[in-house]
Amino acid sequence: MNLYHPHLMRVTERIDETVDTVTLRLAFQDPAVAEAFEFRAGQFAEYSVFGEGECTFCIASAPTRLPLIECSFKKVGKVTTALSRLEVGDTMGFRGPYGNHFPVDAWKGRSLVFIAGGIGLAPVRCVIDNCLDRRDEFGDVTIVYGARSVSDLVYKGELEAWAARADVRLVKTVDPGGETQDWDGQVGFVPTVLGDAAPTSDNAVAIVCGPPIMIKFTLPVLDKLGFSQDQVYTTLENRMKCGLGKCGRCNIGRVYVCKDGPVFTAAQVAELPADM
Amino acid sequence: MSEPSNLKHIDRAQLAGLVEALAGAGTAVIAPALRHDARGTVGYRTVTTMADVVLDKRPDNALKSFFLPPTEPLLHYERQGKDVTLTPVDPSIGPRVVLGALPCDAAGLPIVDRVMDWDYRDEPWFGRRDATTVIALACDKADSACFCTGVGLAPDGASGSDLLLVPAGDGFLVEVYSDKGQALVDLHPAFFGEPRDQEQAQAFRAGLGAALSHADGLDPAAARAWIEGHFIDPAWPALALSCHGCGACAMVCPTCHCFDIVDEQEGVAKGTRRRNQDYCQYGLFTLHGAGHNPRGDQGARIRQRVSHKFAIYPDRFDAILCTGCGRCSRACAAGIDMFEVVERLAGLQADIDEETPTGGDL
Repeated sequence: MNLYHPHLMRVTERIDETVDTVTLRLAFQDPAVAEAFEFRAGQFAEYSVFGEGECTFCIASAPTRLPLIECSFKKVGKVTTALSRLEVGDTMGFRGPYGNHFPVDAWKGRSLVFIAGGIGLAPVRCVIDNCLDRRDEFGDVTIVYGARSVSDLVYKGELEAWAARADVRLVKTVDPGGETQDWDGQVGFVPTVLGDAAPTSDNAVAIVCGPPIMIKFTLPVLDKLGFSQDQVYTTLENRMKCGLGKCGRCNIGRVYVCKDGPVFTAAQVAELPADM
Repeated sequence: MSEPSNLKHIDRAQLAGLVEALAGAGTAVIAPALRHDARGTVGYRTVTTMADVVLDKRPDNALKSFFLPPTEPLLHYERQGKDVTLTPVDPSIGPRVVLGALPCDAAGLPIVDRVMDWDYRDEPWFGRRDATTVIALACDKADSACFCTGVGLAPDGASGSDLLLVPAGDGFLVEVYSDKGQALVDLHPAFFGEPRDQEQAQAFRAGLGAALSHADGLDPAAARAWIEGHFIDPAWPALALSCHGCGACAMVCPTCHCFDIVDEQEGVAKGTRRRNQDYCQYGLFTLHGAGHNPRGDQGARIRQRVSHKFAIYPDRFDAILCTGCGRCSRACAAGIDMFEVVERLAGLQADIDEETPTGGDL
C-alpha cells in the first residue's frame, strides 16, 4: 500500500441539505482504522467514489463527536455529482486527515464569533460543535449564518439546536428576496447583519467562511467592530489532488493550502499574493 | 563537489560486457538509445545491448519519467454491489541501472527527493529511487540552451549519481560516489580495472567549461529576489504572449513533478486509480469545479512555473528546481528560452538594485 491508498468507508446516512447540497454520514469499514482515527477541527480529507475519482473537502463533523464523521458538499463537478448519488450502505474512499487545524485550544477563555455563508457553514460547523462540546471553556458564542434563500440554508437541524440553546446567540439571515412568509430570521446580507448584531471584539476571535464576495465585505465589518486581523480565522480551499504537498496545484505563491493551511488568519491571508 | 570514494577504469568492451551482464541477470538497463524512427532521435529507454546505446548524443526525454512515470497504477478497485475491494499495486521494483545519464538529469533526482519526502514519504517515487543505480557520464554536449553551471551544477558534477564516468583513454575513468555505486562495482569486478589515464580524464573535464561560458554570469538569486517582489508585473503576461500552453517544457523537465490522480474504469465494475504526470501550463490544472480558476490566464501559469523553480522551491526546500538542462528551451515551439528568462528577471532585479543604492541616505 502507498500513501495514496484510501480507507474504505460506508455511508450510514445521507441528508439532502438543499437541492444541490448533501451531507453523508460515514463509518470506517475497518474497526481498527475507526478506533485509531483522530483529527482536529478544520482538517480536510480526500473523499472518493471508485471509478469517478477523488475530491477535497473538510471534515464537517466535530472531533469531539467521533466516531461520527460527516462530509457536506455541493454538487458541482464529476466527483461531487457521483458522491451525491451514493445511498446508505454504499462504499466510498477516504484519505486523511490532512492540513492544519483551528487553534481551538488557544481560544480558551475567549468569546467566539462564527460567521458563515451558504455551504461555508460546513467547515465552521465542525468548529462550532467542537466548541459547544467544550462550552464551559469559552465566553460568549455568537453564530451569524446566511444563505441566498431559506431553501439554501444547510444544517437546518443544527440551526434549530443552536437556536434552542441559551448559551448560544444565533443570528440567521437570508439575502433580500430569499425569505419565505414564515421565515423567522433576518433578511439582509451577512456583512450587514453582522454589523447590526455587533458582537464584541474584546477577548474574542472570529471564524469566517463563505463565498469570496461575502468574506470580502465581512472583513471590513469585523475591522470596524475592533477585530484585528490576528483575531480573524478562515479556511481556504483550492483544487488539490494529493493533499500532501506534492502534486503542485494548490499553492498560492509560496503558501501550500494543503500543508500550510487550510486554516489561516486574516493577517496571513492579507500577506498572500493575489492568486486566489 | 564531493570527492569520489573510489576510482576504477572501464573500457568500452567492458562497458558493453557490463550492459549484457546486467541485462542478462534481470537488471533493467536504462540508457540513451536510438529510437526506432527514421530521424534517429535519441532518448532514454530500456536496452539489452550496448549496440543500442548512444553516448555522444543528448537524450531528448527526461530521466524523471523513469521515477515518476507518465502514468502509474496506485491501486485497483472492484465493486460488488455496495462493497468495494481494493488491491494494492505490488510496490516491488526490480533492480535497475541508468547508464550514461546526463549529469543534469541525475542532479534532478535528489532535488525532487526533497518534495517527495516532505513530511509524507512518496513510496512509489522512493521505491524506484532505491531500486536504481545511476551511472552518469560527464557531458561535453552542451549547446546554447544549456546552463547547468548557471544554477550551481556542472557538466561533470556527480549530484544524483552513484557512479560518474569520465572519458579517459580507451574507455572511462569510473568515480564512485555512493555505497550503491560501490556495490555495483563489487558485484561485477570483471568489468572494472584499476584507474588509468587520469590525466586524460582531467583534460576532458578542463575542456567542458568553454561551451557553457554564456551561463557563467547567470544570477538565479537575483531572479529569485525579483520574483519574490513582483507577483503582479507586466513581465509575466508579456512572457506568456508567445506561450501556447502546450506543457512540453514541463513534460521534458528533469525536475517538474506535478501530477494528477484519476480513476480509469476497466469494464463496468473494475478499474485502476492512476497517478499521471500533469503540467501546470494547462488551463484545467487548477480549475475549480465551480468554475473559478486561480491561475486563469497563461501569464499566471508561466509565473507559477518560473516562480516554483527559482523562488518557491528554493524557499521551501533550499534547492533550485532547475538543473539548467535546457530541454524546455529546445522543446518550446514558441522559442521561450529558460536561460533567457532567468537572465532577464535577474537583469530586472539588477536594475532595481542600481536604482536603490545601499548605504547613505535614501
